[in-house]
Formats: sequence, structure tokens, C-alpha cells
Amino acid sequence: MTDPDIELREAFHEDVTHRLDEMEAALLAIEAGDPGTGMIDSLFRNVHTIKGTAGMVNMTDMATVAHAVEDILAVVREEGKFPPGLVDPLLHATGALRARINGAEMPVDPLLDELAVGLTALRQPRSVSPVGEPAGPAARTGATGVTGVAETGTVAGNPDSPQIPRSQPSPEQLPGSGAVEIPAWGLPAPGPGLPIAPVRPLPPSAVSSGTGSSPVPEQRSVRVDPVKLDHLLDLIGEVVQDGRRITHALGPEADLPEELSATLGSGARTLEQLRESAIRMRTLPLAAIAGPLPRAVRDFARAVGKDVTFTVAGADTELDRLILESLAEPLTHLLRNAVAHGIEPAADRERAGKTPSGHIELRAVSRGSLVEIVVADDGRGVSAEVADRALREGSLADLLASAGYSTAGQVSHLSGRGVGLDAVKSYAHSMGGALEIRSQPGRGMEVILLLPLALAMMNVLLFERGEAVFGVPLAVVDEVVEVPRPTTVGGRPSLTVRGRPLPAADVALLLGAHAPPLRTRPHALIVAVLGRRMAVLCDALVGEEEVLVKPLGPLLAGAGYLGAAVLGDGRIALLPEPAVLARGRYDAVAPVEPVHPPGPPKILVAEDSYTVRQLQRSILETAGYQVVTARDGREALRIISQDAGIAMVISDLEMPGLDGLGLTRAIRGDPARAALPVVIVTSLGSEEDQRKGIEAGADAYMAKHNFDQQALLATVERLIGR
Amino acid sequence: MGTYVRLKVAAEAYAVPVGHVLAIVGPGDLTPVPGSLPEILGVRKLRGQIVPVINLPLVLGLTAAAPQPQRQLLLAEVDGVKAGFTIDEVSSVGDLDGPLEGAESDFLLGVMVRDGELLGVIDVPGILRSLARAGS
Repeated sequence: MTDPDIELREAFHEDVTHRLDEMEAALLAIEAGDPGTGMIDSLFRNVHTIKGTAGMVNMTDMATVAHAVEDILAVVREEGKFPPGLVDPLLHATGALRARINGAEMPVDPLLDELAVGLTALRQPRSVSPVGEPAGPAARTGATGVTGVAETGTVAGNPDSPQIPRSQPSPEQLPGSGAVEIPAWGLPAPGPGLPIAPVRPLPPSAVSSGTGSSPVPEQRSVRVDPVKLDHLLDLIGEVVQDGRRITHALGPEADLPEELSATLGSGARTLEQLRESAIRMRTLPLAAIAGPLPRAVRDFARAVGKDVTFTVAGADTELDRLILESLAEPLTHLLRNAVAHGIEPAADRERAGKTPSGHIELRAVSRGSLVEIVVADDGRGVSAEVADRALREGSLADLLASAGYSTAGQVSHLSGRGVGLDAVKSYAHSMGGALEIRSQPGRGMEVILLLPLALAMMNVLLFERGEAVFGVPLAVVDEVVEVPRPTTVGGRPSLTVRGRPLPAADVALLLGAHAPPLRTRPHALIVAVLGRRMAVLCDALVGEEEVLVKPLGPLLAGAGYLGAAVLGDGRIALLPEPAVLARGRYDAVAPVEPVHPPGPPKILVAEDSYTVRQLQRSILETAGYQVVTARDGREALRIISQDAGIAMVISDLEMPGLDGLGLTRAIRGDPARAALPVVIVTSLGSEEDQRKGIEAGADAYMAKHNFDQQALLATVERLIGR
Repeated sequence: MGTYVRLKVAAEAYAVPVGHVLAIVGPGDLTPVPGSLPEILGVRKLRGQIVPVINLPLVLGLTAAAPQPQRQLLLAEVDGVKAGFTIDEVSSVGDLDGPLEGAESDFLLGVMVRDGELLGVIDVPGILRSLARAGS
């Protein structure tokens, strides 16, 4: 069995090293004459953190030594000054901590002794010989000339030699030190009657020579920058796709020579293994973050006066390193919720015929390319009323995660069950996963986070809309149906699937994409997003594919995509965030057909003059068009990019910022909207201006000075084709 | 002062410090990204990566009425973020010295006069920063 802590040690190795670096720099500065007043806090903070992290990975010996250092620094902080004599023992301790995280054994007791001496000296500065004064030259020579073991032995073997009296308190008086197991260090525990050697003053050189003489720690792993791993995975993904292209280009397998077909097959298998192992390099078991959780649950339970047992199942289930790193927070939140709001007080439990102590389980189960992380409790669950409401309104996850919802029965200072669930839900969605909640009133609750095994690879269902191809995580697609004819419920498009009406929306509208009307028999993806089901309409299905998800980068971070993928045929498929598909439920629903969009065509008027804007609006609206207005070219572009329903643009030539020509050129330069009709209206009206307008790509050019309402409407009608 | 790529954007003369420029490539196949900023024309594949393509004339607020020549892309990288900028063509690559005059645009480091024409020095990191801010 492997030690699950190894991974976490790897993870905090860097942090501890950095903190030790900082501490040593501070100690050396103090030794060099710096009064150290400004550094005490940072020393204290660093060693405190080291203590905490060491405790988390069960390196109790480290935690103990760090604790002793912390105690000393606490006194130093009280005193407000740093006696230079403390530098040596503290450096000795940081050196040993460093050696420990690099795999060496740590001489806990001698270190504690030394620190205890330091602490005593600090408290009674005049009762011992001046702390920090180098010991006699003989002792120092002796110390540097031999290993730590021999040196201690030498001193211990000569009861007359110590210049510093037997130190008090004993290690047992240091908080936390009693529980420490003495590691094998090659030194027999000091027998009774033998004076324990004060290990100090050991100059730093002796510490380092001692460490250096120990065997080189065994290298158990290689540290690799995750960026390099991503790059490797990228390249493998490219090769996999090249392979697919070759296979595609070669035609049906049956027509290939047997040898070629066999080679292709084995090549594909090898690539698959290569990809698997590259993905595995990015994954870690849940155990890597589960270590501190039992303690956390215990603390939560104590805080609210409940008795809770906690178990972890499937701790060896692997997850993407990035996901795992970000999982601790939502997980802690769910556990806290389960303790505070799920598990009932013991008396209530007994009345309900349950064991007095509640049970919470954290469970990880691998489901293909997804991992299910479940926090299950045997507490009170949701009320029957909430369960009913969830049935009527969609899902429990959605209901409980809606902002401010609380199932806490009574007003208390504690947040309700649902508080913070919205954050957990958006976390799951941001990772390309989902949140589900199951609960039986009175019996308990299961909160399920569905997360992708690896962020880089994703099983998606690809579909076409217009000229574009999109993909949604397969995890959110329930089924796909062909839509024979559209129906509406309450004026909204809807689809009846297995006898149940579902809201339906054109994916182009959901995304704000520009696309021709849907085909007459469109396909509908029945997706379960945010716990609800809805039909997302597209032109055609492309199929299921495991794709390499590439990030779109910071410029497109807010556009609502998980990323994009390069398909076997070279096209780019955008992968919308599942949550974006769900938003259409309320604000982007549109009819399945007809060929023409419903209602009158929408015309965008870009004009900086308020009067002219309102004049044009009233002319157009009187003629039955919908009108949207913009005050300059930039605003117009923003509206066009966000509203796929804009059927035509009427723009002033002169506007601040982006003018009519710039606007026209921008529209013509945008492949998605290049065909949008543009009419330029201007007071200039010279032939030269007109030429410029036409060159920029305007469909028509009208002068304000002979502005004619009928001519405008005729032009609009001609261009919109109505 | 340094080495610059001199180029034409909507028939106007500009320069980009060569340090930001990875390559000049053809326009390629653009995939529009619905819901993105108007300044972003779409994304395209480039060396195994997916790179956003920015409408540079629009960013620079160019309104000159010259016909749009065949576009090329200037592929730039700043702090690991790659982006393509639409340009007309590259005029030359070479050293430029002399003082930069302040420019009114947020997206220019300044302007200088070269060979009798006004040359705007494009602030590539500034453009990317501002688009990233607006797009998130």
C-alpha cells in the first residue's frame, strides 16, 4: 500500500522550504546585528504555518519541533527583543526541519532539549551563563570535528564538561512533545543518571555537516511544472487527432491491406495508452486532500455540540490535480453544512429511531471520464415540504442553491443548509461538472459533485448550428431527439418528450450566435443543467467525441465557454458552459420555426443626435419595425454582437468614437455578421462621402438634406426583403 | 530605441516593438465566438493552439475610408497570452530611434514621424490588458 501522504508532502515541500528560507534569512540577519524586532512576527507566522501543515500530513515529529520553536518565538515576541544567542538553536531547528522534509530522520529529542535550554535562558536570562556566547574553543572544535551523534556522546560521557547546567524544563513540559515517538536516530535514549547533553552551542556548520553526512534521501518522485505536463498532453492530443485524420483519409478499414490495418490499430492503442498515462500524471487521489477532513469534521461537530462519525470511501479515486486543489474549499463547506444542518441533536435522533451519533461519509466514485464526489449524511434531510417543492419546480439542487434559501428549521446564528450551496454549484459548473442533491425527508441527504476526471480531456456531444459546430459535456446530455414539429406552451416554445413538456430554445439564441433559421426537422439535445431539463435545439448532430479542451484565454474568459476543441476534420468546436445553456430557460427561448423570426424585424439605429434618433425610431416603429438605438458605433457593435435578432443597421456617418464608416467596416469584417444590411445616413451627402460609404461596404447611402421618409422605408424594405 | 515591425493598418502606418511579435501569418479560417467582445473577430488554430483574432482597425478607432486590402495577422504574445491582430501588411522590420510623441489613444505608446509619415507605436500589452478586462 502506498502512503497517501507522499503526494501532499510533495505539495507542501515547496511551501515549507520557502518558509524555512525566509526564517533562516531573518535569523542570519539577527545574528549579523539586526535587532530583529520587525522579523519576529514573520518568523512566528512561518513556523506556525509549518507546524500546521506538518500536522496535516501526520509528520508529528516536525510539528513537535516547530511547536517548540513557536513557543520560543512567542516568548521572544512578548519580550519584544531577540537575544542573539537564540539564533543558533533556532537555525539548528530550521536545518533539521529542512533535512526532514528532504527525507532525513529528525533528532527530535536533542532538538527539543536544545530549544528548551533556549527557552529557559530566555526566561531567566541571568541564571545561566550568557546565552549565545560561544562555548569554549575546545568544545566547539570538538563539535565541528565529529558527527552529531559522536559529539553528543562525548559530552554526555563526560559529566564534568558541560558548562551549562542541566536544562529545565524537560521535553515533556513542552506542549505537544509528550506524544512524539522517538525516531530511530542511532542514539540510545539517555539513560537515567546520565546527564542529558545540552546540544548547544552547535554552530550551523555542524548542523549542515551532520545533515550532509546522512545518506542522500531517496528520490521518490520527480517534480514537474504542470505547464509542461499540459504541453505534453496538448502534443499527445494533437498526435491522436493526426492519427484520426490519417485513419479517416485512408478510408474504410475493410479496404486496407491487413498489415496496414494492424499497424494502425496497434498505433492507435499505443497512443491511447500514452494519453492515459499523460492524463494520469495530472491526477492525484482524493486522499491527497482528505487528510485534514476528519479533524475538520470533528471540530465542526464539537463547535455545535453534536456527535458525528466520519468516514471516507474511495480515497484512492483519482482526480485532476487542478480540480483537487480547488476541491478542498467546497468540500469543507459541504461537510460543515452536513454537520451543522443535516445531523440532528442526539435526542432528536433517538426519537426518530436512529443511533445517537450521526454519520457523515465522503465518497468518491469513478464514473468513466467523470468522478462523483458525494457527501452523504444520515441526518434529517430536507422537509417534506421542500421535497415537494423541488418536485414541482425542478430539482433539489437548484432549489437549495437558489440564493438565500435555507432549510434551517429555526432562526439561528448559523447559516441554513442552502447557504453557500450556490457557490458550490457554480464551482461544479465552472469545472464542467454538475451538482446534484438527493434527500429523503427524515433519512438524510446526499450532495453529489460530478466532476471531470481530467480537465484537459472531455467527452462531448458535438452538434451543428448554422456553420458553427459546438460541443456540450456528455455528462449533461440526457438524450437526443428529432423534433417533428414545434409546439408552444403559454406562448413559449416547448417540446414534449416522453409525455412531459420541456422548455425549448434555439442554441443560437442561447449563445447569441448568428445563424440562419433552424432546419425544418431540427434535433433537440435534452440537457439536464442546473438540475432542470430543457431542450436545446440545433440543426444536426455530429456525434460523440473525446476532445482535448483548449482554453480560450483571458480575452474570452467572460464569453461563457469551457474552452474549444480542434476536431478531426480541422474545424474548431466551441464548448459552451452548461450553465449558459440553462439561462435560456427564462430569457432566450424562441420558437422552433418559422423560417422568418417572429414579430417584426429589428432595426438598429446608430445616431449621436437625440432628435434624429427619435425621428428615425418613430418613422420605423410607425411602419411596424422594432427599433433599437445606439449613440455611437461602438455601442452599436456591442448591441449587434449581443443581439442576434438585429436584422439591419441604419447608421449616421459622423459619430464620436467609432463613426459610420468604421462601424460598417467592422460589420463587414466580422464573418458572422458580414451580410447584415447597413444603410448610412448623413448630413454630408457629397458624392465623395457616398463613395467612401459604399467602399466601406454600406448597402445604401442616404443624405439627410433630402431625407425622405418614404425613401427610407423603401430602402429598408428592399434590404430586409419584406 | 529598438527594433520595430512597421506595418499598415487600414492604410495607416504603425509600428510594433519586435519583442511582442511572434509571426506574421495568413488570415486563416476564423471561427466566430458568440458572446465575445465586438473587437474579437473569432478564434483560429495556430500551431496546435487556439488563438483569438482581434480587429485591430476597430481597436485603434480607424475610420479612414480606404478599401480594406487582403488581411494578414500579426501574431503577438504578451505574458504567455497569444493573440492575432488583423493588419493590411508588414512594410519593413528595422531599428527606429528618436523621441516618441505622446498620443491621444489609449492603445498607442506614442507617435513618431518617419519618412514624412506619422507612425503610431502600438501598445500591444495595453490592448490585450484592456480587452481582457472588458471581456471578463
